[in-house]
Amino acid sequence: MELAVPEVNSAKCEGCGDCIELCPAHAVGMVAGKANIVRPDDCDYCADCETFCPRSAIRCPFEIVISVGEPA
Amino acid sequence: MPAQTGFLRSLPYFSTLNEADMGRIERAVIERPFDRGEVMFLEGDPCKGMYVVKSGMVRVFKSSPEGREQVIMVAKPGDTFNDIPVFDDGPNAASAAALEQSTVLIIPKEAVLSLISGCPQAGAIIGLFAKRLRRMTTLIGDLSFRSVLSRLAKVLLEVGVSESGQSAPQRLTQEEMAAMVGTVRDVIGRGLRLLEKEGAIKLQRQRIVVVDRKKLDALV
Repeated sequence: MELAVPEVNSAKCEGCGDCIELCPAHAVGMVAGKANIVRPDDCDYCADCETFCPRSAIRCPFEIVISVGEPA
Repeated sequence: MPAQTGFLRSLPYFSTLNEADMGRIERAVIERPFDRGEVMFLEGDPCKGMYVVKSGMVRVFKSSPEGREQVIMVAKPGDTFNDIPVFDDGPNAASAAALEQSTVLIIPKEAVLSLISGCPQAGAIIGLFAKRLRRMTTLIGDLSFRSVLSRLAKVLLEVGVSESGQSAPQRLTQEEMAAMVGTVRDVIGRGLRLLEKEGAIKLQRQRIVVVDRKKLDALV
């Protein structure tokens, strides 16, 4: 299964590089002037990039599901 | 009660009624006095009808289980209140009490609904608006009384879908959850970690799994 990574909207991204500087896992890089998750295996999905992006170009959505199993 | 005609005709609800409909409303109206502080009806009780202030002042309010109150309206002469449950067929959406010596007119639910019985589509549209207004009233109560953690628990329970169900799960960012809860993204992040620590949810990559629904219910 493909590893879930933050979604970058390249139309909104201005290539400021804030997310690259601030990503604690160094998972974000620049590709053709736009932010990209270049090291997906390192990405913790902490969603800091979503917070720091000044253009709201990065989204880290969560599916919300209710387990049918017994509580742990 | 012909004496009520002038007053009732001054209300937007009844200003264009024909004589027959006006007569039906007048015959159904009940006039009641209330002393200062006296409770007229309680949130959650079955709806008896729509209320109109004839004289005095009435506070319409939501209450928390601990007894805290949030006034959502101060009704003055000519103002109607308790309209929502008349049209969405639910219980009273709030409570009401007299702020001073007051007289109100109670128009039974059936009498009000008889005015739109000839146009079911109008009834359906008005019912939809009433339901939306009830949701806004509930939101006022939630924002006034519930902690951020309680509001977050409520959102997770409302939008979460069963793992084994047919519906596709909703996908929300923490920013979107913050907007629904009425807070900021950082607080949502802390709230989710706290709920995980309490054993109510599990945070996975791109998934929030409610593993103990009862724990979330207890917060709500």
